[in-house]
Amino acid sequence: MTEPNNQSDKLKLEQVGKEVTIPRGVCVVRQGDPPVHFYVVTSGKLKVFRETHDGIRTDLTELGPGDYFGEVALITGKPRTASVEAAEESVLLEIGKEEFDSVLDQNPRLARQIIHSLAQWLVDGDQRLEKETVHQVKLRQISWFDYLLILGLSLVLGLVFNIYNDNQIPLVYSVHTAAGVEAIPLDKAKELFKDNQAVFVDARKANFYEKEHIKGSLNLPLLFFDLQYPMFQFTLDQKQVPKDMPLVVYGGTTSRRFDIELANLLEGKNQRKIYILAGDYKGWKTAFPLEEHKVKEMPAMPLGMSGYIEWIPVGIFILILIPPVRRSPYLSAVCRLILGIIFVDFALSKIMRPAVFALNVVEYGMMPAWGVNLWALVLPWGELVAGLFLILGIRTRAAATIIGGMNIIFIIGLVNAIFQGLPITCGCVGEAGEPVNWWKVLKNTGMLVMALQIFFYDRLFVLDRGGFIWRERKI
Amino acid sequence: MKTRFLIGTMLLGLLCGLFLAGCGESRTPYAGNYRSMEPYAGKGHVELELKENGEANWKLADSGKTIKFKWRVENGRLWFYTKEGAIIHLTPSEGGKLLSADMTGQWHPSCPKDKCITFQRVPGGGS
Repeated sequence: MTEPNNQSDKLKLEQVGKEVTIPRGVCVVRQGDPPVHFYVVTSGKLKVFRETHDGIRTDLTELGPGDYFGEVALITGKPRTASVEAAEESVLLEIGKEEFDSVLDQNPRLARQIIHSLAQWLVDGDQRLEKETVHQVKLRQISWFDYLLILGLSLVLGLVFNIYNDNQIPLVYSVHTAAGVEAIPLDKAKELFKDNQAVFVDARKANFYEKEHIKGSLNLPLLFFDLQYPMFQFTLDQKQVPKDMPLVVYGGTTSRRFDIELANLLEGKNQRKIYILAGDYKGWKTAFPLEEHKVKEMPAMPLGMSGYIEWIPVGIFILILIPPVRRSPYLSAVCRLILGIIFVDFALSKIMRPAVFALNVVEYGMMPAWGVNLWALVLPWGELVAGLFLILGIRTRAAATIIGGMNIIFIIGLVNAIFQGLPITCGCVGEAGEPVNWWKVLKNTGMLVMALQIFFYDRLFVLDRGGFIWRERKI
Repeated sequence: MKTRFLIGTMLLGLLCGLFLAGCGESRTPYAGNYRSMEPYAGKGHVELELKENGEANWKLADSGKTIKFKWRVENGRLWFYTKEGAIIHLTPSEGGKLLSADMTGQWHPSCPKDKCITFQRVPGGGS
């Protein structure tokens, strides 16, 4: 596919060939076809390209007047190594194999010229191959900087946004100490319970209280203290609880000491003697008789578009069963778009009201109290940044790793909640009404598989490393 | 170049759509003053003021104490957010004349009878 530079050689070729006109868009030769003709371009423009079995096209070069092609297959006797398509209407000189061989036999100068051109083509090919290999290696390279970039951006955006957010939360939730509230040891509290000399108050949310609580205790959720305190007082009056009977507050979690905070608030009301149950926050579960109820399945709130989009990743389990599809970079591009949209959607439902998400985190009971607010502030921004990176094709392998990591954390949290029978909502995409069940686990597993597919096979439509350049597959 | 521009525009449109979808619905139809139909905790009625700017005041008549919320509308339901991040769902009925507040702090398709406060719209308020 080179250009003869000798007018006498051209004349020789023209003597043996016949002119053919090729309309725009028509393939003159196809990759894999048996070699029949050699062509010289008289006028027009043609594109030379190769295509893999899964449809990835690599444009090799363009040919114009004076260029020729088809010599490689004729000389080697092997099928065509590339396809040639007319980019515009072109006129070609078509020469048969026998005529081509006799021209070469009679014209050593032309033969040398073709050998020179083929040798040059091989050298150029090696250089192109090296360039592409370097490109692919760079594309697959993944550095700590990629992770630092995504995590750093998420951290900075999360913290800066929190400063200007109307619904700002403190970075670290300070674990209050029960100032002025007397802690009562378990054995002493048990005596009070046995003699009916105290009212036990559960500080957790109503759904946790309903699942399991100290027999005969009352529920005053810390989160609705202002709203429900009048009703709590009313209940005490209705039950004709003596004014001097103390209240014993219990019910904390790993992630938040509701009991300590409620005890402080009740102490502030200055109406009764307040005790807080001493020791381990869940010591009451073994020390007192309990009332337990089977957790009712949480009703599901319609989530609209987000609810439907969340199901798409489940389809990946079918696609990965088909080997050519499993490894397809086009599937990676689709996975990136779907996963990106899902995670941007996840993020937007949490970013504006971090306190709501923080409570979701608290309900899982896996995060230490000091980390809850930081997690609630940074995770949604991590979802947003990684999701956008996937959609835009920036550092996609790192973004897929981070999203896969989040999916693993979500799956662990969900499975733990299911096995413990926690009466909580998922907090995944909606703020309420999202039941925790095995479907959620399946959806997250689908997303994890998508992230892995992207990590291993993504190479199309990406903005390259070293600059935001659209990566074309022209060599 | 055209394809890239088209893809870019589609992505931008998609992101804008997602952002706008998170903005919620208009508060105007529900902004105004409400009063609980029954006395609450034996201490008089609860007065509820919903402002168009997303602020809400909950006042128990006898105690004189006002509790502040933020609120928004989604799928025809009102969402109240406490400072601590808890949510109370209110379901409007009779064209917004009545609001049923689910005091469990959880979402239920219908307001549980023993934990439900029903508010009736009264003249005034909202701005």
